[in-house]
Amino acid sequence: MKTVSLMGIFMFAILGIAKLSPEEAPSRMQKELDIAARVGSAMVDGDLCQKIVTQRARELMFARDPGDRFLAGDNYDVDDVAFNTVKKTLIRLSHLSSFPADVNLWMPIEGHPGRIQLVIRNKNEMSQFWNWGELYGDMVPEMETVLKTGQRVTVTDKPGWISVLAPVYNSLGDVVGLIETVSQVKMDAHENVK
Amino acid sequence: MRRLQTRFVLLFLIAIYSQVLLARDLQALPEFLRSDPFGAIVAPDRSGADLASSLYGAKHQVVLTGCRGGYVSFHLVVKLPSPSTYTLDVTIPDPTNKVQIDLFREWFHFTDSDKRYYPDALIPVHATYISRLPEPDNRITKQTAQAFWVDVYVASDTRLGIFSGTAKLKANSKITTLPIQLTVLACVIPGEDVVTIDHNSYGSSWLAQQFAGSYRRDPDQWFESNQFFELIHAYHRVFYEHRGIFHQLGYGHSGKVGPEFAPVLEGSGRAKHITSWSLYDRHYGPLLDGTAFSASRRVPRPIPFVYLPINPEWPASYEFWGERGYEAEFVNVVSEMERHFREKGWTHTNFEVFFNHKKRYKGFPWDGDEVRFPKDLKYFLEYDRLLKKALPPNTPVHFVFRADVSWDMEEQFKVLNGIVRLWCCGGGILSFYRHAPKMLCDRGDVVWYYGGPPGVTDSSSAITEFPLRAWLWGVNGYVHWLTVSPGEDPWFHFDGGQTALIYSGERFGVSEPIPSIRLKIQRNCLQDLALLDSLKRRKSLDSLRARAARSYNNSTLDDWWNSRPALADLPSDQWLGSAIDDATKHTHQALEHPGASAWYNVHQYAMSLQAEAK
Repeated sequence: MKTVSLMGIFMFAILGIAKLSPEEAPSRMQKELDIAARVGSAMVDGDLCQKIVTQRARELMFARDPGDRFLAGDNYDVDDVAFNTVKKTLIRLSHLSSFPADVNLWMPIEGHPGRIQLVIRNKNEMSQFWNWGELYGDMVPEMETVLKTGQRVTVTDKPGWISVLAPVYNSLGDVVGLIETVSQVKMDAHENVK
Repeated sequence: MRRLQTRFVLLFLIAIYSQVLLARDLQALPEFLRSDPFGAIVAPDRSGADLASSLYGAKHQVVLTGCRGGYVSFHLVVKLPSPSTYTLDVTIPDPTNKVQIDLFREWFHFTDSDKRYYPDALIPVHATYISRLPEPDNRITKQTAQAFWVDVYVASDTRLGIFSGTAKLKANSKITTLPIQLTVLACVIPGEDVVTIDHNSYGSSWLAQQFAGSYRRDPDQWFESNQFFELIHAYHRVFYEHRGIFHQLGYGHSGKVGPEFAPVLEGSGRAKHITSWSLYDRHYGPLLDGTAFSASRRVPRPIPFVYLPINPEWPASYEFWGERGYEAEFVNVVSEMERHFREKGWTHTNFEVFFNHKKRYKGFPWDGDEVRFPKDLKYFLEYDRLLKKALPPNTPVHFVFRADVSWDMEEQFKVLNGIVRLWCCGGGILSFYRHAPKMLCDRGDVVWYYGGPPGVTDSSSAITEFPLRAWLWGVNGYVHWLTVSPGEDPWFHFDGGQTALIYSGERFGVSEPIPSIRLKIQRNCLQDLALLDSLKRRKSLDSLRARAARSYNNSTLDDWWNSRPALADLPSDQWLGSAIDDATKHTHQALEHPGASAWYNVHQYAMSLQAEAK
């Protein structure tokens, strides 16, 4: 049953949007991103996500040394097997949209409430929340809602941007992170090529 | 006592004479002394103030001496105590047109950091320049001086001997004439540089910002317009004219590729293939066959190095990493690229397979740039395998695996021996490994080191440290990591220029980039290095280097290296960033702040050797 409904969702995504008028685009895009986010909640393995950022990277993420201003970044490290496995799932989720989209993984940081870090980005380099280059940032209220309630939330704060935030669960049933399915009504082919 | 008196009188006369010179309304200054808009030498260059009268001969003429095949440069400063119009005319007549003058107005940038003015951007103007002081567009209310950069180009087939010219200023019904005497020596500056100076950049969105007027006229099509590609070619040209090269990285840290940096792909798995070379060829064709440089004073030739768009997400999708599909996509597309380049005859350029991403930017789980964790090297080995599978063994197209290395460079030199052939090394850490340049060059690798340009608030000679260090170290080149980013308002609120050696000419009606004083000084330094190196058959290279170092800042060759620190014996992932700073203290202290006259002294040494050769 679950397989059939997932296939149905897939077919809708592939066939649903061939050509959209500019007026139709945002709402249809939102629907597709929501579908990808919903599927993502079912597919992304939260236990694996929790293994991506290494202990060392977590310990030094907030460390400060006036003699070493890149301390946190230079010690940022990941478990590449876990990273690759989750990233491949995120890429496949992005194929559910009929337009270029990314699916990013965000994780809260233990011991630092109110902070969140982007853990995996993807090839269109899109995110409505990531300030380029930052290791971690402040959690927006919508992310907090997802982590607390497990509900999906759509965010269109930045003009032309659509993100759907959806929970990621581990085997205990805890919400341990979230995915951001994201796209832009008008893509900028040159943005973030740096 | 009498001798002391004589010396005092002599010094007094020199001082008076200098005052007279400095008080004149048209002053020539050596390239290392930059004037501010009020006629004083900018503070960082004052250590070289004794050079102020060095251009003047006995008859108060400007005396220039140069080899052929290059430039001789100096500043001209117009000084008017009260607001007035003026005409400046600079000429060295040569019926054969082998001696040519390029005149540039120097823009005075206001730097927010110290609330002072520094000249840097060079606006090309006609040899007869008419304007007024204060210069209207520079908006400096009490401006009393306008500086000009004079480039005298001497073609390699110029006749030997003396050329006479003048700099003439008309202002307030008064004409001041400064005679110019150019002596052209027999020496010819080699066209090939002994160190490659690279000017790096990322993507091309900055072009739309810096040439906003052009972009706004057609924002939807601009990135595919002829104007856009001509602009890119102009950037390559201006660096080439200044004896440098230019790199534009075409992809982001998560693998997004700019459309003009790669052919268009379609399909997936074994069906993935190239469908269009249109934008790629418009971008790179004239650069790879050299026609973009056909109007150059230098010999036109293909660019020697170029980044490829290859990254973990291009041409193969990372979705298939480690699977047969990844290999199929990578091998098929790279094979097509090799074939295209071969068929086009683009066989004089090194096509760089280079991974710039860092895991801290969250795109991929390994560092391509500046590997710190040795476990990441396995990805390099896999790409080497894929690359070898994609390329015919006897291809005339030069694909070269490049790695930018710092922490782990010593280990990478071993593990990636025979794989990476172009090493771009962090200068600080490379200074621990004195044996490395020779070891790498002996096995046929190319070695560059990297850093960033000095700001305009540093002394004028600061920019010469990088080429000199490369030559003293015996490496092949140096990379300025970013050179096209002058900040949001370089004209009135300048950040100092540590990421820019070039500016947009748009506000001056120039549809191309314009150079800077620092770029000109760097070019002239490269000329001198080429000359010095060309003498190595007559004098040992070591003695040439040692003497150049001594002339520069009274240093020895040892001062340019640090001893290998204890931390070098630890795995690089156990190093502390602060410990690297400690380990490079010796060179920092020994080489800190070269005075404004540092390169002048090296230049004099190079010229004295030419005189000896004669």
